[in-house]
Amino acid sequence: MTSHVFHKACLFPICMAALVCFSTTTFADDAVDYSRDIRPLLSNNCYHCHGPNEQDREGGFRLDQLESTLAEADSGEHPIVPGNLEKSEIIRRIMSTDPDEMMPPPESNKSLKPKEIEKIKQWVTEGAKWRDHWAYIPLEKSEVPTAIDANWGINPIDNFIAQRLDQSGLTPAAPANKTRLIRRITFDLTGLPATLAEVDAFLKDDSPTAYEKVVDRLLQSNHYGEHMARFWLDAARYGDTHGLHLDNYREMWLYRDWVVNAFNSNMPYDQFTTEQLAGDLIPDATEDQIIATGFNRCHVTTSEGGSIAEEVYVRNVVDRVVTTGTVFMGVSFECSRCHDHKYDPFTMNDFYSMFAYFNSMDGNPLDKNIKDPAPIYRQIPQAGRDEIAKLKTETETAQQAIKDYLAKIEYVEPEESTDAIANEPTEVVWIDDGLPEGAKGEGNSPWEWTEEKELVYSGSQASTRTATGLSQHFFTGAKTPLVIYEGDKLFTYVYLDPKNPPKEIMLQWNDGNWNHRAYWGGNLIDWGTDNSASRKRKGDLPELGKWVRLEVPASEVGLKVGAKINGWAFTQFDGTVYWDKAGIVTREGRPKEYRSLKSWIAEVKKSKPASIPKNISELIKKADDKQTEADLKKITSYFVENIFQDTKETFTPLQKTIKKNNERTAQITKASPTTLIFKETAEPKEAFILTRGEYDQKGDAVTRSTPESLLSFPEGAPNNRLGLAQWLLDPKHPLTSRVAVNRFWQQFFGTGIVKTSEDFGSQGEVPSHPELLDWMSKQFIDSDWDIKATMKQIAMSATYRQSSDITPELYKLDPENRLLARGPRYRLDAEMIRDQALHVSGLLSSSLGGPSVKPPQPDGLWLAVGYSGSNTVRFKPDTGSEKVHRRTLYTFIKRTSPPPQMTTFDAPSREACIVRRERTNTPMQALLLMNDPQYIESARGLGQRAILEGGEDTASRIDFIFRTCTARHPTTSEADELTQLLKDNRTTFEKNPEAATKLISIGESVANKDINPAELAAWTMLGNLMLNLDEVVSKN
Amino acid sequence: MDPRREYLQTITRRHFFQQGALGLGTAALASMLPERAQAATNGPQAVGGLPNLPHFAPKAKRAIYLFMAGAPCQMDMFDYKPTMNDWFDKDLPESIRNGQRLTTMTSGQKRFPIAPSKFKFKQHGKSGAWVSELLPNTAKMVDDLAIIKSLNTEAINHDPAITYITTGHQLPGRASLGSWLSYGLGSMNQDLPSFVVMTPKWSGRQQAQALYNRLWGSGFLASKYAGVSLRSKGDPILFLSNPDGVDAQTRRRMLDSLSKLNQNTFDQIGDPETQSRIAQYEMAFRMQTSVPGLTDITDEPKNILDMYGPDVTDPGSFASSCLLARRMVERDVRFVQIFHRGWDQHGDVAGSLPKQCKDIDQACWALVQDLKQRGMLEDTLVVWGGEFGRTVYSQGKLTKENYGRDHHPRCFTTWMAGGGIKPGMVHGETDEFSYNIVKDPVHIHDMNATILDRLGIDHKRLTYKVLGLDTRLTGVEDHGPVKELLL
Repeated sequence: MTSHVFHKACLFPICMAALVCFSTTTFADDAVDYSRDIRPLLSNNCYHCHGPNEQDREGGFRLDQLESTLAEADSGEHPIVPGNLEKSEIIRRIMSTDPDEMMPPPESNKSLKPKEIEKIKQWVTEGAKWRDHWAYIPLEKSEVPTAIDANWGINPIDNFIAQRLDQSGLTPAAPANKTRLIRRITFDLTGLPATLAEVDAFLKDDSPTAYEKVVDRLLQSNHYGEHMARFWLDAARYGDTHGLHLDNYREMWLYRDWVVNAFNSNMPYDQFTTEQLAGDLIPDATEDQIIATGFNRCHVTTSEGGSIAEEVYVRNVVDRVVTTGTVFMGVSFECSRCHDHKYDPFTMNDFYSMFAYFNSMDGNPLDKNIKDPAPIYRQIPQAGRDEIAKLKTETETAQQAIKDYLAKIEYVEPEESTDAIANEPTEVVWIDDGLPEGAKGEGNSPWEWTEEKELVYSGSQASTRTATGLSQHFFTGAKTPLVIYEGDKLFTYVYLDPKNPPKEIMLQWNDGNWNHRAYWGGNLIDWGTDNSASRKRKGDLPELGKWVRLEVPASEVGLKVGAKINGWAFTQFDGTVYWDKAGIVTREGRPKEYRSLKSWIAEVKKSKPASIPKNISELIKKADDKQTEADLKKITSYFVENIFQDTKETFTPLQKTIKKNNERTAQITKASPTTLIFKETAEPKEAFILTRGEYDQKGDAVTRSTPESLLSFPEGAPNNRLGLAQWLLDPKHPLTSRVAVNRFWQQFFGTGIVKTSEDFGSQGEVPSHPELLDWMSKQFIDSDWDIKATMKQIAMSATYRQSSDITPELYKLDPENRLLARGPRYRLDAEMIRDQALHVSGLLSSSLGGPSVKPPQPDGLWLAVGYSGSNTVRFKPDTGSEKVHRRTLYTFIKRTSPPPQMTTFDAPSREACIVRRERTNTPMQALLLMNDPQYIESARGLGQRAILEGGEDTASRIDFIFRTCTARHPTTSEADELTQLLKDNRTTFEKNPEAATKLISIGESVANKDINPAELAAWTMLGNLMLNLDEVVSKN
Repeated sequence: MDPRREYLQTITRRHFFQQGALGLGTAALASMLPERAQAATNGPQAVGGLPNLPHFAPKAKRAIYLFMAGAPCQMDMFDYKPTMNDWFDKDLPESIRNGQRLTTMTSGQKRFPIAPSKFKFKQHGKSGAWVSELLPNTAKMVDDLAIIKSLNTEAINHDPAITYITTGHQLPGRASLGSWLSYGLGSMNQDLPSFVVMTPKWSGRQQAQALYNRLWGSGFLASKYAGVSLRSKGDPILFLSNPDGVDAQTRRRMLDSLSKLNQNTFDQIGDPETQSRIAQYEMAFRMQTSVPGLTDITDEPKNILDMYGPDVTDPGSFASSCLLARRMVERDVRFVQIFHRGWDQHGDVAGSLPKQCKDIDQACWALVQDLKQRGMLEDTLVVWGGEFGRTVYSQGKLTKENYGRDHHPRCFTTWMAGGGIKPGMVHGETDEFSYNIVKDPVHIHDMNATILDRLGIDHKRLTYKVLGLDTRLTGVEDHGPVKELLL
C-alpha cells in the first residue's frame, strides 16, 4: 500500500442536486430492495403474529417464509400474489381503515407510514422478489467493484465505499492532514494520543510508506492489546465484583490480562473464540486456555440470603447462552427463552438445546460472596513456583532423613518409667494466619485478612473487620479442640483503629454452644445474660492504635475443666478492628515428656488425645492379642519419631523444617491470584425446556444441539462446547465472521456497517454496505481469522483517512456519516479521555496487567448504595503513581457503583453484555472534565511540562501545550486567545498566591517546587482548558 | 436572589444569546435547551423528549417517589388484621400458603407461627383508612392519599425485586422509571438535571440492604437519561465545585476562552456536536450556581422547617431529602426519587420498625401538605412504597413483644397522592392473614403504568427497541393503569 493519497487533490465539488434525503437505514434509491426496504417493514409490523413463532401465529400464514407468503392462508386468500396488487390480501389489509380489518391492528401500537405502504406496493407490483434474511445467507466473496475514480482509493474497501457514494451522487472527502491522521490512528489502534516525537517523525517522513510504518508500529505496541481488550471486556461483561446483592470483590483479572495478551500476540479469532468458550475441553489444555474460559464466568452472580439455588443456576446459564448469542452471532437468543422467537428462526427448543452446552459447570451457582467461588484457577507466579519447588526438595530430604534415622534407631523399653510433666505453663497458639484445621469460617461477611505490616501482630496476616453496628466473624468445627485444664487462660491480640474505633468488642467460645462471652467497652451486644458467664464484662476498650493482649480465664466464662472448645468468634459493634494470634495458656495441655512406650500407650488408651493420627490410635485401640508385629512396629515408629524424649533432638528440627515448608508453601499459594474458570462436570447435567422461562416449570428434556436454521453441526465434532465453537467457526457459518468484522469496523468509524452490532436478526438494521461487509468477512476467514490484518486493512483504507470536516449540506444528507463521504469524528470513549489526560500530563504509568487499581473517586459513592456487610462498601483509594495513574482499563469496577469517570462518559456498568456504547454529550461530563481532581492534576502536569519542555518563551510553550494535545500548531487567533487567558490567569493568581498554591497541590503527584506557584497555576488553568477542548475530547 | 448568583446568571445568559446569534444548526439548537425564551410566555416547556410525547394531557407534571428499600411490614403499618390476635403462635394454614415459595431464610423453619401486629390501629379521616400508631402523621392525611393494599410482585429476594419494580425486570440491564421519563418527556429546565436521586440515612436495622446504581440507571437508554445523585456530603452533584483555588470568575474566564476556541473548531469542522458541547459547558456553569441555591435551605421560613420536623436541618436525613425534593420540583425537576433504606425487618420488628417509621412519617406528611399549600399537589404525583411485603408469620423467635418477618411477594401496601390520583381512598383487599389478595390486585407493572399514565404516557407506546424487541417499562404481559385510582 502507498500513501500517495497525500499528494493528490481530491476536491470535486459535491453534487447535491440528485439527492433525496435518506433516513439512517434506508438510503435513497428508486429500486426496491427486499432485504433493505421490505423485510424490515414486515418484520417490525407483521412478524409478531405472522412470523416464526408458531404458538402465536394468526391466520395460518407467515411472512418470513416465501412459501407460506404465497400460499393460501386460513381465510382462503393469498397474502401475496406477485405482480398483482388486487389479489394480494396484505395490500388490501394494510390499506384498510376499518379497525377490524386494518393491518397492523390498532391495538398493536404499530403502523405503516404511507411511504412504507407505497414501497410494499411497489415491491409486489415488481414481482415480490424474495431473498432470505441477509445475515443468515452463507458468505460468498463479493466481487470488488471497479474504482469509480482511478485517483481515489487504496484498497478494495474504498471501491465499495466509492460505489455507494456514487450511487448517492457523493464523492469522498479530501484526505485528512497528517497531524489529524496520526492522532486519529494512534487513538484507534492504542487508545492513546500520539506523542510529539511520534508526530514529528511522521511529519518528517515523506516516504510513501510513512503512514503504513506508523500503522505497523502501533500494531506492535503493547498498548494495542490494552485498547482492543477494552471493547471485548464490555462484551464479556468483565467486572471486579459479583454484581448482585452484596456485590463483594471477586478476582478475575487474570482473565482480563489474558484478553490483552491474546490481542497483543494477534491470536487468531478462531482460537480466541474457542479458548474462551471451551479452553478447558481442549486436550492437554494449557494454563492460558483454562484462564480464557473465564469468559463464561464473567456474568453477575449472587449469594443473597434466601436465594433459591436452582433459580440462580438457570439465570447464570441463561446469561451464558444470551451472551454467546450476542457476542459471537449478533442474535438475540433471549426472546426464545419464554417462547419461540417472534422475528428470527429460533425456537424455544433451540434455546434450551443451547442451554444444555453451558449448564454443566462443576460448581455452585451461588457465589458464596467469596472472591474465588469454584471452579477457579490459581496462578502461582514463577518466583513462587521456584520457591515451592525448592521447599519441596528440602522437605523430601528431611522426610528421607527421618526415615533413615527411624531405620537406624532401635527402641528399647526402659526398665523404669522416667516420664515427666513439664511444669511451666505454655502458650498454645490456635489461630494465626489462618484457622485451625477443619474449622469452618463464617460471619456477617467472609473472614477478611490484612497483610499490611503495621496492622499485623504475628505472622503475616491479621483478621479484620469494619462494621456499622453489630458484626462478627467466627468459626466452628475445629478438628482438634482446645481442651480446658485447671487454670487455663484464653488469649488473643487486638488492635482498634483510632480513626474508626468500635463501641464494643466481644470474644465468644463454642464448646457445643456459644454461651461463653467476654466483652470490653459499651454493653451494646445483648447476647446472653449481662454480668454472667454468658456476657462477662472485662473492662473498658483497650487502648486505641496499639496491639493489646486480651486474656480471659476460662473459668470466668463458664468453661469447665474438660470442656472442648471447637469454635471462636470475634465480634464488634461499629468501627474497624484487627485481631491476631489467639489461643490458650495452659499448664496441663502441654504434652508430657515420655521415655517409655508402654506408659505412653497406657496414657493414649486412657485419654484418647485427638492429636494422634487416626491410623495410630486405631492400632493402639486394638486388643493386645490382635496387634501384629507390623502394627507394633508402626506404633513404635510413631512414638520414636514424635513422642520419645530421647530422640526429640534428632527429629524435632526435621519436623519443624517440614512444617515450616508446608506453611510457607501454603502461604505462597494463598497469596497467588485466582481467576474464575469454566469446568465441565463429569456427567452432563440434564436440561429441560422451561415453560415461560420459569426455572421451576420443567418441560421436555432436551439434548445439546445448535440452531439448525443457521447451519448444521459439523460432522465428527464432539457435542460439547468445543464442538459448539467448531460450529461457530465453520467457514460456512453465516454470522460469526460478519459480526466480528462489523465490530472492528465500529471501532474505527463509531458505527458498524450494521449499526445494531448486537442484532443481526430481522429486527436489526440492515447493513449500509452489505457487499463490503461480506467481502471483508470472507477475507477475515480466508486470512485464518487474522485480527491485526483486518485492523490494518481498515486503517490503510482511503475511506478511513478522509478528512472529517462537515459541510452543513453534507450533514443534512448524512448526519450519522453512514455513507462515509467524510472521515470519522466523534467524542472519545471514557477510557481514552482519561488515558489521554494522564498521557499528555506525563503521569501515565505504562505498566501492563495485574490486579485492578482504585484511583481516587469522590467519597461516599460506594457507601451510599453498598450492603453494610459487603467488602466493597467502603472505597479506599490506592496511593502511589503506579496505581492511581494506570490506564483506565485497569480501574476497579464495582458493578453496582461503577467509577463515575467511566459511566459519565457512557461506559457500561459491566452487569450485562454490551457490544455498542451510546455516545452522549452532557453537562455532567463538562463538570467532571473541569473539576475532577485527577483531571486537575493532569492539567497541572501538562502545564508543568509546557514550562519545562516547551522552550523559553510563552509563545513556544503555548505551541507545545497545544500540539501535545491536538498534534497540530495553534492558529494565530487560537494562540492569541490562549496567551490572553494565560495573562489573565497570571494576574488572578499573582494577586492570590494562596489560591495558586491550593490549585497546584491537588493530586497524587507533587508539583515542581522550582516553578513559581502563580505561574504554574496559570498554566494549570491553561492545561484545564486544553483537556476540555472539543477538539481534544474528540477524534477528528 | 443572591446578587452574585444573579450576576453569574446574567453573564451566562448573555453568553447563551451570543452563541445563539452566531447561527446554530437545528441539531445544536435542540440540545441548547433555549426553553427560558419560551418559558417567558408559556411556562416550562420540555426539551429533548420524544416528538409524540406526552401521548395525552398529563395530570402530573412531575413526580416524587419515596422508596422504602428493604420492604416495610404492611400488617404493622397499614394492612390491619385484627383477627390475627387469636392466631398468635398458631401455624399459618397450608391452605393460605397455597404453594407460595419461600426464601431459604425461612424454608428451613419447622413452623410458621403467626405474629399478630403488636401495634395499635385506628381508623382515620373521612375515608376511614386504618393506620397504625407507628405513623401518626401519615394518619392525619389519609384523605389526601390513595392507599393500595393489593400491590404484588413475583420476586422474593431484594436484589431482583427492587430491580424489578424500578426497571421492570429482575435482572440488570433495563432502563429505570425515571430514565424512561427523561427519555420520553425531556427536561423542563436548563439549570438542573431532570431526574434526581437521593439516598438518605436511616435509623432502623443498620445491616441494611444494598442499593444499586442500576435502580436509577439508564440501562439500554443513553446514559444522559440516568438519575443524578444529589449527595448530602461533599459536592451535592459530582464534580460540581471548582477545584480549590479556582473561583467562579476564573472558571468563567476559562469558559469564555473555551467557548471561543470550540466555536473556532465548529467553524472549521462543522460538527454540530461541537455546538452542543458549548451548550453543555454553559449548562454546567449554570448548575454550579443553581445547585448550591437549591441545596441552601436558609431561605426556608421557620414554619416550613418545623413542618418537616427537627431532622430537616440534618443534611442527609430523610426529612431534609423531602424538603429538597419539594425545592427541586418547584424548580421543574421532573422526577425525584428518595431511597430510604433499613426496612428489612427479619427480626426485631418491635425495636427497628418504629425507628424507621419515625424517620419518615412526619416528613412524608409535611411534603404532601407543603405541596398542597403551594397548589402543587394537583400536578405533582407522590408515591410511597417498597419492593415487596412481609410475612404474617414470624421469622425466628416469636414472643408477644417481638418477632421478625420474612419476605412476601403476594401482597404489600403502597400509597399515592396528588398528580391526578383520587384522594381519600383505599384500594384492594387482602385476606385476614395479609397473605393473599382477595380483591383488586395491582401488579407492580400496573402501578408503573399508572405512574406513566398520570404523566401523560401510554405505557404501551413508550418503547425502545432492544435486540429487536419493543421493550417497555411494564413488561410483555397485559398490564395497565389502575382505573379506580385515576381522577
